[in-house]
Amino acid sequence: MDHFLLLFWHALLVAVFFAFLWRSDSRGRRALFLKTFLIMFVGAIALGWLMFPFP
Amino acid sequence: MTADKKSRGNVEGKGSGGDAARPVAKMLLVVSWLLPGLGHWLLGKRVRAGVFAAVVTASFITGIFLHGEIAIPQQSSPLSWFFTFGCIGNGMLYFIRLLWVNGLDGLFSASFPYGLSGGGDPVAAGFFYGKTFLYTAGLMNLLVVLDVYDIARGDKS
Repeated sequence: MDHFLLLFWHALLVAVFFAFLWRSDSRGRRALFLKTFLIMFVGAIALGWLMFPFP
Repeated sequence: MTADKKSRGNVEGKGSGGDAARPVAKMLLVVSWLLPGLGHWLLGKRVRAGVFAAVVTASFITGIFLHGEIAIPQQSSPLSWFFTFGCIGNGMLYFIRLLWVNGLDGLFSASFPYGLSGGGDPVAAGFFYGKTFLYTAGLMNLLVVLDVYDIARGDKS
């Protein structure tokens, strides 16, 4: 089981969902999708990386 | 009918009037809960319907394949009712899974709703990931249901 792939898949599904739920124009959807996806995907990796120094 | 009610869109604006059409919005709410995306489809929002159906179903199936457990009420844990409420948001998918795991006999046992099995494998590496996917799917579908209700009442396009 690839944790990275699961993170990607979960972020993708949730980002697509909220893009279509909260925006009705394609430009707004794209922008919200990118923002949500990057916050979840890159944010989780960054947070995990920052936690390395802690026991 | 008041001006406020007249200004409301889709469902209440159609047919014989707002009060008469209100049950339609409620019916759409139930339909949308049972089958993800169907409410939007019936309201003519075909693209959104397809996306919501695909996303909720994909999330649910991923959860099952990861050996996740659907939430069930437990007598010893009152908080389990909250998790169950979130997971029941999956609608028909939840009940099919419940039936799949417990069978008809198990489903209608004397201790219902306690004593049911939520399936899954707690030893599996993907158990908690699976649960997350299952709960996420349920909560997303609950948001879809609210969206359908808003559209049906004309509060959202």
